[in-house]
Amino acid sequence: MSRCTHCDEDILIPIFSDLDKDHKEPFCCNGCLTVFNVINLKGLNQYYDIKKSSDVFKRRSPVETKPQRFSYMDAPEFLAEYTYLNLQKQRTMEFYLEGIHCLACLWLIEKLPEFLSDVEIARLDMQKSVATISVKADGKFSNVARELNNLGYKPHPLKRNQSTHDLRKQEDRKMLLKIGIAGAGAGNIMLYAVSNYAGAPANLAQIFNVISVVFALPVFFYSATPFYQTAWNALKNRTLSIDVPIAMSLIMGVIMGFYHLLTGVPDNYFDSLTALVFLLLLSRYFLNKIQNDGLTANDLNFFYEGNSVLRKEAHNFVEIHPQFLKVGDVIKVGSNEMIPADGKITSGESLINSSLLTGESRPESVQSGSSVYSGTINLTNEILIEVEKTKEDSRIGKILKAVESGWLQKSPIVDVTNKIAKYFTAAVLLLSAALFIYNLNHGSAHAALEKALTLLIVTCPCAMALATPMTLTRTLSRASRKGMIIKNNEVIEKLSQVDTVFLDKTGTVTYGMLKVDTFNIIKEAAISVFDIIASLEKFSTHPVAGALKEYAVTKGSSKSHDVADYREVPGIGVSGKIANHFYEIRNGKIFEDGEVVAHFTLLDHIRPDSRAAVSELKAMNVAVKMISGDQKEIVETIATEAGITKEHMFPDMSPENKLSTIEKTPRSLMVGDGANDAMALSRSYVSVAVLGSLDISLRAADIYLTSPGIAHIPDLIKISKETMKVIKRNLILSAMYNCVSVYLAFAGLISPLTAAIVMPVSSVTVLISTLIGTGDLNRILSANKEAK
Amino acid sequence: MEVLPIVIPLAILLALSFIAGFIWMTVRGQYDDLETPAMRMLLEQEEMKNNESDKLDPKKDMISNKERK
Repeated sequence: MSRCTHCDEDILIPIFSDLDKDHKEPFCCNGCLTVFNVINLKGLNQYYDIKKSSDVFKRRSPVETKPQRFSYMDAPEFLAEYTYLNLQKQRTMEFYLEGIHCLACLWLIEKLPEFLSDVEIARLDMQKSVATISVKADGKFSNVARELNNLGYKPHPLKRNQSTHDLRKQEDRKMLLKIGIAGAGAGNIMLYAVSNYAGAPANLAQIFNVISVVFALPVFFYSATPFYQTAWNALKNRTLSIDVPIAMSLIMGVIMGFYHLLTGVPDNYFDSLTALVFLLLLSRYFLNKIQNDGLTANDLNFFYEGNSVLRKEAHNFVEIHPQFLKVGDVIKVGSNEMIPADGKITSGESLINSSLLTGESRPESVQSGSSVYSGTINLTNEILIEVEKTKEDSRIGKILKAVESGWLQKSPIVDVTNKIAKYFTAAVLLLSAALFIYNLNHGSAHAALEKALTLLIVTCPCAMALATPMTLTRTLSRASRKGMIIKNNEVIEKLSQVDTVFLDKTGTVTYGMLKVDTFNIIKEAAISVFDIIASLEKFSTHPVAGALKEYAVTKGSSKSHDVADYREVPGIGVSGKIANHFYEIRNGKIFEDGEVVAHFTLLDHIRPDSRAAVSELKAMNVAVKMISGDQKEIVETIATEAGITKEHMFPDMSPENKLSTIEKTPRSLMVGDGANDAMALSRSYVSVAVLGSLDISLRAADIYLTSPGIAHIPDLIKISKETMKVIKRNLILSAMYNCVSVYLAFAGLISPLTAAIVMPVSSVTVLISTLIGTGDLNRILSANKEAK
Repeated sequence: MEVLPIVIPLAILLALSFIAGFIWMTVRGQYDDLETPAMRMLLEQEEMKNNESDKLDPKKDMISNKERK
């Protein structure tokens, strides 16, 4: 199978540029071809050389280049809310760009100032896919956005939101400072601790001890604060988390260290404990970082507001951002545009695709007086709509609210580590009490207390607390490299328990767009049938027209003729005259002067990898069910083709029905893409949104796949099971080390020196076990790739 | 052993100066984006290889760092 020159997607039916006579550069879609041409036209073809030589950073998807209006970006009210002045007093806006995936993208975006005169500086943050663009004094952001769109990066302006955006940056920096200080503290303390272990003379040992205390102070009182915080929160909620025994050891360590300092005993556990703080903070930082890459729910807020909208003023239409729409406004929505608010049509008739809202794949015809809903797509003709409900009050706004409350209702799971923490803490406390009592009978109270405290310190569950974040980080980064973006780490544990998979049909198992299924030529017409299609459907934006045009091109339609008396009747078809013959395309037939020349049927095709994924899931003892808002016959055809049995099909499901079906299955994984799935997604045990999902389902889902289709679903379950195996093994290993320290403490063999050996050794063992374990993940993922 | 009274304060001073440097850089935002600069560096090199005259102006880097603050 060949790959698209632009986006590297596997191609079913390649298309070629007119100039590319030898068919050397295949493309998967017109979008990619258009972008390729734009890039070449601007002399930027170095893009493809860089792409070839660079590692793909994220998988990218076929480009959709819908022409869009961006002039609303020049409105003063918009500029005030979305832009700011940088230090050079240049107006600056941040865009989230869809489709950033490798080094070449970076090159292209940062070259903007060279081929677009509006731009002063362009910088891209690859991790977040956010471009910061400053324009010249007379530069317009609408031009910038148009150019980005032409290059295949759909731009979404980001609101300059001080509260969330900058807050996260501050948090990140604070965490980094804590880690740095803990690292520096631990390193320096180690230097003096080693001298003491090596047998420094008493007077020097005392000085070294004082120095270590000084270095340890910021570590315990600044760097380690997150542990005290979470431990305290857990205690307040009357639960125990793994942070409770950690905080306990740290506090005991500090108390003992100071007590020894005052009594002149040069013994403390600061070297082991500070190193522990450093390692733990580091492992959590990486886990956080990998989860916060990509977009947070907050960032996604702006997405569904869509793009610009034309509002009727006294004499003309003015482009505004949908955010500024009010009830009573009259707006104009062109063909293939999303309707931005609920309302009534005041003039015009058209076809509406509401598949994102309801799951119904057949377009619905509407005319003056019909109600339309935001989130649906106007397919054929321009219509005027009087706005009745905006934002939160609209139907999609309500779904959005339900999604949010669904999130809140979802009970967080207590992960394995924290489940164990309960028993662990109890065991440690009991053991130290036993040790205290035992020593009390055999010596002084002072020595007994000392020994009990030591036990508390050395049984600090560092390896245990370290193992889980480390394993999860590795898994999440592996997964995201394969295009599976997992939004939070708890999902991994839930994934490993999934026993039922619910698949949405449209856009998930299928391509989500019509394609020609059968095409029979009955009789030769005066001109080629495909030329008839190309000529007549040229002006139509109806999905049937799109499917036919694509088919005609692949069948070698060479030219389009001039059409006289062209007419398009919404819901019926198109007709027109070519060279004295009257042609019609309607009801799945093509007519020449009233005589049928060809039949065709259209179908939303199943993705080629869907069937394999379904059978793979079944082999893993996972039930696969299809849940769709579409009609019974369509669902049955597709589901049977995918290998799903009849009793597992759920057609004609409204969003509410989907939700209740999902709720009946406690360990369910839901895969979906539309707003109609969003409620079900937000309440299912684990939810996955696939590429091309409407932004609402993106917010609702735990996992986002950057490649279309369900091929990755079996992988997800497999890697989660593997990850859980590694986590459990790590927990057992670290428990074993803790048994060793308990034994040493009871035998009276424990000292700062033995602690300094046992603690790091246990951490390193867990680290190695993690590395080996997650190495297996790679094998799973790459084995799958070869099989495909 | 006589050197210790000089070396130890020096070592501490050195450590403190590194910590101070780290704090300064973190607060200035040098560690905010660790991925892109690494890639950007590769690009500039590639452009030099291709003998392109219009390689990125180093001043722009400085501006963007300030701007990032």
